[in-house]
Order: sequence, then C-alpha cells, then structure tokens
Amino acid sequence: MRRRTFVGAVMGGALAGGAGCLTRDGDESPGDGYELTGNPESGTLTVATYDSMLDGNDPAGPWLTTAFEDAYPDASIEWTAPENGLNRFIQLEEQDASLDADVFLGVNVDDLARIDDTLAEGGLFLELDVDHLDRADRIRDGLDMGDPHDRVLPFDTGYISLVYDETVVDEPETFDDLTEPAYEDALIAQNAQTSDPGQAFLLWTIDGYGADGYLDYWDDLDANGVRILDDWSDSYYGSYMEEERPMIVSYSTDQVFAAAEDQDMSRHQIAFPNDQGYANPEGIGVFDRASNAALAHTFVDFLLSSDAQAEIAQRNVQFPAVAPEHVDLADDFDRYAHEPPEAVTVGYDRLRGTLDGWIEEWARERTGL
Amino acid sequence: MSVPTSPQRRTRTALAAWLERHALTALALVTAGILAVMLYLPVAIVFVEAVVDRGSVTLASFAAVLSDPFYVGDLAGVLADPLAIPEHLAGFRDWLAAVSVSATVRRVPGIGLPVPWLAVDTPGVRFGLFGFTAYQAALSTVASLALGLPAAYVLARYDFRGRRTIRSLTILPFVLPGILVAIGFYATFGRTGTINSLLGLVGLGPYPFIEWNPLAIVIVAHAFYNAPLVARVTVAAWESVDVRRVETARSLGASRRRAFVDVVFPQLRPAILAGALLTFVFTFMTFPIVLALGGLELATVEVWIYDRVRQLALSEAATLAILETIVSLSLTYAYLRYESAQTGLSTGSAAPPRDPLFPDARSVLSPRRLAIVGYGLLALVVFVGPLASLVLGSFTDGSGFTLRHYEFLLERQIEGESFQTLPFRAIVNSLLFGLATLAVAVPMGVVVSVVTTRAGRGGTLVDTLAMLPLAVSGVVFGIGLLQGLVFGIPLPGGWRLQITGSVAIVAAHAVAAYPFVTRTVSPPLASLDPAVVESARALGASRYRALRDVELPLVASGIVAGAAFAFAISIGEFSSTVILATGGDAYTMPVAVERYLGRRSGPALAMGVVLLAVTAASFVVVDRVGGRFER
Repeated sequence: MRRRTFVGAVMGGALAGGAGCLTRDGDESPGDGYELTGNPESGTLTVATYDSMLDGNDPAGPWLTTAFEDAYPDASIEWTAPENGLNRFIQLEEQDASLDADVFLGVNVDDLARIDDTLAEGGLFLELDVDHLDRADRIRDGLDMGDPHDRVLPFDTGYISLVYDETVVDEPETFDDLTEPAYEDALIAQNAQTSDPGQAFLLWTIDGYGADGYLDYWDDLDANGVRILDDWSDSYYGSYMEEERPMIVSYSTDQVFAAAEDQDMSRHQIAFPNDQGYANPEGIGVFDRASNAALAHTFVDFLLSSDAQAEIAQRNVQFPAVAPEHVDLADDFDRYAHEPPEAVTVGYDRLRGTLDGWIEEWARERTGL
Repeated sequence: MSVPTSPQRRTRTALAAWLERHALTALALVTAGILAVMLYLPVAIVFVEAVVDRGSVTLASFAAVLSDPFYVGDLAGVLADPLAIPEHLAGFRDWLAAVSVSATVRRVPGIGLPVPWLAVDTPGVRFGLFGFTAYQAALSTVASLALGLPAAYVLARYDFRGRRTIRSLTILPFVLPGILVAIGFYATFGRTGTINSLLGLVGLGPYPFIEWNPLAIVIVAHAFYNAPLVARVTVAAWESVDVRRVETARSLGASRRRAFVDVVFPQLRPAILAGALLTFVFTFMTFPIVLALGGLELATVEVWIYDRVRQLALSEAATLAILETIVSLSLTYAYLRYESAQTGLSTGSAAPPRDPLFPDARSVLSPRRLAIVGYGLLALVVFVGPLASLVLGSFTDGSGFTLRHYEFLLERQIEGESFQTLPFRAIVNSLLFGLATLAVAVPMGVVVSVVTTRAGRGGTLVDTLAMLPLAVSGVVFGIGLLQGLVFGIPLPGGWRLQITGSVAIVAAHAVAAYPFVTRTVSPPLASLDPAVVESARALGASRYRALRDVELPLVASGIVAGAAFAFAISIGEFSSTVILATGGDAYTMPVAVERYLGRRSGPALAMGVVLLAVTAASFVVVDRVGGRFER
C-alpha cells in the first residue's frame, strides 16, 4: 500500500512532464509454436538495427522504407537503433519485458552464439518459415550462418582484410609475413573487445592458428610491434589517415569509399593474407514475439530482391548476399570492391561457449600488465 | 488608507508563508526523490548483480576478482590469505630491500636532449589493472594541475583583452565526445599532424610522438579535458579571495610572497584539491581516450567493465564497478573531511584587483611576463591544436578543401526522414536540456550544500553519498538506467514502472551535474560566518529566506561556476542520453556526432564543429549573464 503511494507520487511528477511511464505488460504469450500469424501485406513493422543503417552517409534505411512501402502500400516501417544493439533484446527477453520490435537487421554469427549462451538454446528469434520466403534459395554458397535453428538469413556480407600503403610496404602474402622485420611497427589492429573488425581479425587468426596457437601468433605480432586501438573509426581516421602506420585491419570494400573521395589509391591497397578474407555476413532475424510475423517474413523476402540487394550493397558498402545472377551492381562497385579468393569464418558451433574466453585471454595478454 | 484583505488573498499569503517556511524541506525532499529514482535505484540494481547469484547472496565474485593478479597484481596473494600477516610483512621487507633508486641521465628520443632521470629499480612488482589505472590517473592529475593552475593564475590576476571570453571557453573541452578528441590529437601530434608540419618547416622530424610514448599522449589528452576544470574552480575561488585580508597582511609587513602563501593560498587550497580530486576520479574511470590513443596496453578497469557488460557477464562487471566506486568514494570522503576541516571565516568578499597583462611593450620582456607568454604557447599547442585540427578536418577530404560535410548536415536537416537524426533538432534539444538541467541541478546542488555544510561529520558522510554520481562509472550507470528505468521495473498486477524520454534525460543530467554545484558552493558556504545567518533568523527570517537573501548572494560566484558546469555536463553527456532517448527524437549534439560516424567521418566532424560552435557561443552568453550576478 505504502509502496503504491510512493510510486504514485514519484510518477505524478514524471507524468506531468509528458512521459508515459507506467505500462501494462501485454498478454501475448511468448512464442507458442512457429505458425505465422498476422497479415503478410499490411500493418506496421518495427525494425531494430544499428546507427549507420539510418544515419551514416547515404544510409540504406530510408531507401528500404520507401521501396517497401511502395511495394506494400498497406504496410509501414518504423526504425529503432538502440545503443547496445542486440544485447538490449537479449536482456529484455530475459526479463520477459516487451521487445517493442519485430525484426533485427544486422545479426552476426557471434550474436547467435551469445543469445544461446545467455537465453535457452534457439531463443529470441523465430525459426524462419522458408515456405513463406520465395527468394531464400538465391543466397550464394558459402554464406551459411550456421545456425542449427535456422533463425537468420544473411542480407549482405563484408570481408575483413588488410588495407595498406603500397608506397611504404609490400603486400603481405601470408599471416606469417606480418611477423617479419619487413612489417615491423607497420600494422594497426582493433581491440576485439570493443570493435567488430577487431573481433573478426582475432577470429581469423584463431581460424588460422587454432585455439591453441593463436596466442603464440599474437605474441609474435606484439614482438613485431602491432598496435591495437579502440575501434575502427578512431584507428582509421586517427592513426591510419594521419600516416602513423602503413597498414590497418579494415574492409575489402575500402576502395569504394576512397574512389568516391578522390583519395590517392596507393594508400588504399587491399591485401588478403593467405589468399583469405574473413567473411562477416550480416543477417536478419524475426523476433519470437513479433506482433506480425507474416509481414516480417515479407520484409525478409523483400531484402533478398534484386533491387534491395543492389541498393544495400551500394549504400552499406558490403557485398550482396545473393548469387551474382540475382543482382546488378554498379560498375564502380565491381571495380573497387575486392572479394577474397577464399572466404573464411569461425562458425556458430565453435563460437558457442568459447568466444568470450578467447577474447578475454587475448585481451589480458595484450595489456601491459 | 487601508485596503481590506479578502479571504482569498489571506489564504494565498498564508500559503506563501507556509511554502516559504517549508521551502527548504520541500526542495530537499524533491532532491532526495530524484536521487532515489535516477541514481540510487539504477546503481543498486547493478550492484545487486555482484552479490546475488541465483537468488542467494554470495561474495564469490569479489573473492575471484581480489585474488586475481591480473586485477590487483601482487596484492592478490595478500588478499587471498589476509591473515598470514607475518609472511606478507616479510615479503614486503624483502621487496623493499631489493628496491634501488639511482639518478641517471636519459636522452629524449629523436632529439638526443639529455634530461636528468630518477631510475627506480624494483624487483618486478605487479600492480594489476587497478594499480595501473590508479597510476595513470595520478599522472593525469599532476599534468592537469601543472597545466591548469598557471591558467587560473593568469585569468585571476591579470587583465587583458578577451580574458572573460577565454575564461568562458575553458569549459569547452569538457563537452567534446572522446572520439573527436582522439581524432583531434592525432591530427595535432600525429606523424603528418600540425606539429610535425611546423617542425618540418625548420627541417626537423617527422616524429611519431604518439607511438613514442602513448601514455604521455594519453596524459596530455586527460589534461586537455581536466586542466580547464582545475583552472575554472581555482579561478572562481581566487576571485572570491578577500583582498582586505591580503592588504592587512601587507600592511603588517608581509612580503607579497608571504601574503600569498599565508593568506591567499589557504583560500585557494580547497578549490585546487577539489579540482585534483575530480581529475583523479574522472581519469580513474577513463575509457575511450586511453583506448583510442594508447590502445589495449593502457587498458583501465573501466575497459574491463565495458567488456564484461558486452559479454553480458554482469556480475563480474558489477563487482569491478563496486571496487572502482569504493576507490573513488573513499577519496571523495577523505577530501570532504579535509574540506570541512578547512573552514575558515570570511566576511564578504572584495575581489583582488587585476593587473594589466601587458601594460606596455617593454614589460613583455620581464621574466614573469615571458613565463606567461611561454605558458600561453604551450596552452596553444595542447588546447587550441586539437580543436583547430578538428575544425580543419571538417573542411577537408582526401583532395583538399570542401564544404560537403556541412552540405550533408544541411541536406539532412531539409530532407531527412523522421527516423533520422536532424542536426537542428539536436542543437535545440541540447540547449533545452542544458537549460532544464540548470534549473534542476542548481537548486539540488545548493540544497545538498546547505544540508551538509552545517551537519559536522554526519554531513560529510551524506556529502560523500551525494557525490556518488562522480564516483560511479558511466558504463555502470548506463546499465542501471537501462535495466531499471528503460526496461521497467515489474510491479504487482502486471504493471511496469518505466521512465524514458526528455524528462528522464533532464533528470539524469541533473543527477550527473549537481555535484559540481555542490562542490563549488559548499566551500564558500561553509566559510560564511554563521552569525550572519543567525542574526537574520533572529530577526524573523525563515531558514529559506536567510538562505535566499543572505547566504546565496554571498556565494554567488560559486553558484555561477557550478551552473556553468551543470550546463556543460548536460551538453556533453552521452551515455545516459543515448540510453534514455531510445526510439524518440530526444537526441543531443554528441549523440548526433556518434550517429553520423558511419564509415566516413566527415559528417561527424562537421557535426562536432557545430557542437563546438554552439557550445562556445552559449558559454560566452552563460558567463556574461552569470557574471552579472556574481557581484
């Protein structure tokens, strides 16, 4: 009783300011069965994603909104880009609180492992109903996200590679080259704790040297003076662009930007050590408790359409997820976006339960302690 | 002729009288309410994570952290078995015996300039993550004092064109997002940066300053953030030094120097120490700057907390956060005990007069003026360099001068969709939140000051608790807000208590800002002669009225300084804003900077420059308007 009064008093003040603070939890029972509910062509779809899908340079979000709403006039899209990304939804699901979103655009393989390490196996997202997806078979080979529960489909992919200044260093042929004197104090990498490309590069070395050997390899990199900075933007715009160093862990699509900005191409050469690039496919998943799962499936299928694939590739500066015959890319994109001879990735099975330990051990040894 | 009072009017006067009598109590209750919901609740939610494991209380995660050499270094052995005191003492004695200190000469890399160096040779002691964090914080504090105090001296003692503007702008670094500062530092100190370009003109370099000694550059960056803070609190104290006491001392035969040491310095000391404490606590909890400039080898406790949070290992994150908070709160407590012991009596203030900085051309050559000019050059490099480089970066791309980053902002403003971040909206929000924060944080800070200054040792404890926002890491506060207020707290009957949006943002900003008001108001308030208040009370004034009409005017300069801080905190705040602004259009300028980052930084830099310009303009206004109330 007293607690109510207290809460009421506190809320009174906040409500006066126009914030709706007390909400009633919905009655919708979380995910009983996988039958698709809702109307596939009408309703409002709330899409959660990351900032640069909406706000970066020439982002894909606005185009997707217009194109989807043109194709399905009774449907509309709302966007949300929460600060802590998918973690937010994992935590909301843990607390049984309302998710306030229907799909998540930008799920990585490691996200799936983290979901299953935290929630029950196969949690958070629906198993996608492939019968409702006409274009699921367009996805090209080698982009399987490896989820045993088939919760996500890739909508684009990037390749982590090295970007280097050919006037200063030669192209490194192998990972071992990076530990040679020719590359002393040459490489900038990112912190795998805080940065996506940083984590991808670490996983790439784990793929190459194994869970038993990667720390030794990193010791060699350290001895050769690798520099690990916080995240991609400050390591790139700060250190690399200020010519502190001639080589950085970055994306194989770097030249697309460099060409658009008339940059000197000699500073934007792409290297694929061991003839590999680390594939980071980005997936889309439909939340277990989506209010209109049928419309969400329509959206997933729409993302795989030729037009959407071409626009996403261009605006997100990533490679399409569908096979080449299903997408027409601008000449410049074909010319400047480099695909590695071989794409590698550490799959879901190996990431389950181990990713955190790998990163923590790696990070502990990288500190000066 | 007398006017008959209507019953209504009488009620209104009675109500007003009642309100006045209870105003202080009411304000204190509101303050406590805001703190409970916006501060103690979120922090408690996180801290509970550390000690509750599947419903039962346990200290296992503390034991794990405290016995891990990675975190606490060689203390781990001691903490793992605290009762084996004789062995620990013996171990310490052996260690001390093996320490040797020798004076050597080192050469500055690249130039070969020899400098005397005190080499301390210790037999491999490990300080752990906490030890390193404290070490870099201590160095950062020393650097901030070394750079901030001369600025305070010049600003307080000399008159020159633009003095007030510079004084207003000292707060500017405070509002800049870490990533902008990192990019600014690279553009200044980097291999192709401004300094190397200048050195190149005289045939030197290029030197990789940042790579030579990342720790030194991180410390300079921390000084960039915190020296202005030190300068600002010290100038405020200096300007309220009672010049009559200095004159008395001088007339009794004290030299200028003597008068400074015995009369002026003791009045500055609380402010200097407050600045040092704030710097230490801030840099103890630093995260983006160390990583961006120094990398993982300079990792701090906060880095680990952030990582644990990302991996959803909340109990370990919470444990680290509690330990971090204990360190900063104990420092705060120690400082506050000191501050209350320092209370002297002052009877109103007559500010010391300022000398013209350059009365004539020849005076420039006096040693004191030369030193000031030298300091000015140094300040130019440290403060103006990074800011100027940012501005430059926003006007250039790979091929030279361009306006297209600003075009981007304009285009986004005109054509942007409702779910996108609009620059003008961010500016308006920032200013509105800043003003609202002022309105909430200043009364909160003053109330906390009043409640604690006259309450003795108990007051110190309350005061320490009231300083909690400074001592809790941003990451932790963020999770607490998210889990407590944004996700909502389940209530009986299927209800959920959720607080988000503008009101929550202003409340969170006020909570982060009021300690600055308290810290700038408490020392002058404590040094007021209680007799002044007592006579007012004896003459029938309510406690509130005595505060409003007697005490506040006497500590006005402290309030104005605190208000400027409150505004700055609000403008620069990022983490709780971005958490509470979810899905709405309650974003601010720093949030817009981060959202524009994408894969090319131009637009983000342009937005950063807008942030700089708007903030600089508003500070000049705040200080000019505020200055009117100071005396």
